[in-house]
Amino acid sequence: MYRGREGQWAFLLHRISGVAIALYLLLHVLDISLVMLGPDGPFDAFLAFYHNWPFRIGLLMVIAAVVYHALNGLRIILMDFTTWGVKIQRQLWYGVLVLTTLIGIPVLWVVVPQILAGV
Amino acid sequence: MEPIEINVKIKRFNPEADSRPYWSDYTLQARPSDRVLDVMHHIKWEVDGSLAFRRSCAHGICGSDAMLINGVNRLACKVLVKDLGNRIVIEPLRGLEVKKDLIVDMDSFFDSFKAVLPFLINDDAPPPAERLQSPEERARFDETTKCILCAACTTSCPVFWTNGSYIGPAAIVNAHRFIFDSRDKGTAQRIDVLNAGNGLWRCRTAYNCTEACPRDIPVTQAIEEVRRAMLFRGA
Ligand code: FES
Repeated sequence: MYRGREGQWAFLLHRISGVAIALYLLLHVLDISLVMLGPDGPFDAFLAFYHNWPFRIGLLMVIAAVVYHALNGLRIILMDFTTWGVKIQRQLWYGVLVLTTLIGIPVLWVVVPQILAGV
Repeated sequence: MEPIEINVKIKRFNPEADSRPYWSDYTLQARPSDRVLDVMHHIKWEVDGSLAFRRSCAHGICGSDAMLINGVNRLACKVLVKDLGNRIVIEPLRGLEVKKDLIVDMDSFFDSFKAVLPFLINDDAPPPAERLQSPEERARFDETTKCILCAACTTSCPVFWTNGSYIGPAAIVNAHRFIFDSRDKGTAQRIDVLNAGNGLWRCRTAYNCTEACPRDIPVTQAIEEVRRAMLFRGA
């Protein structure tokens, strides 16, 4: 592994989160479209299946990916369109990580107990 | 400074003799103030004459000896043993074909450099003396005049590793050097090259180039400046 610094990890995480979101979206569109098969179709069964804890944890990771991707996207816009963005790209990235974590805490606070209780 | 014992691992490959790359291990004495290039000279001259690498000036000017040293692209003639500790791992630059050991094929790298027309383009009749420029106009592109074409930036770029036809940071830096030169009139031609599919829009701002540049050129900043010039000059 090339020993790059913050910029390389920011880029790699951006790419991984982007691909993860795209795959999730595809799955989501596919299973939502099952509703068109009517009330006796497989929609409810799939929904119940996705309610298993591995999928719910996966969903938490999708949320983290969306938040990171959105915030780092703002960082990239600042780097692209301001004269100073590139110079503070490291600080901006740490800001992205802190904000992603801050947004994640209340989500975990609400959702993790639900998963543990099996609701 | 007193010599210390160091261990040097070098990735070797001779396409004419080897089916795959392998590692050579050397344990030797070196002074902490020695440069990695001194260590490599010692190996080549005293231990193993078959080791192949490029170098010329040995003083960070010619750009011949960029290589991957302890995971980062740098010039062997500019990094000291004491900055690396007593374990040194040396590999050839990534993304370019290995000709032998640490020597890579630089042809595609120089083709990208030539593609951005890295020379003054101005068909106006020359003035009686020089084409004058204010100190401020000269300062506008000062950073990008410092490039020594060592390829440390381009071969540190994740986009270049996966797409070898990406024009790469070094070529963009050299385009910047002329695009922002008040005497130059070739911007439109250069932008044609940079706007192409494998041009500067491929950059994903991973900053490895900026970190790798042995001349401390703010490479990503230069790329973004050229991008903005292309967007806002209506090019
Ligand atoms: S040998 Fe010339 S730059 Fe290192």
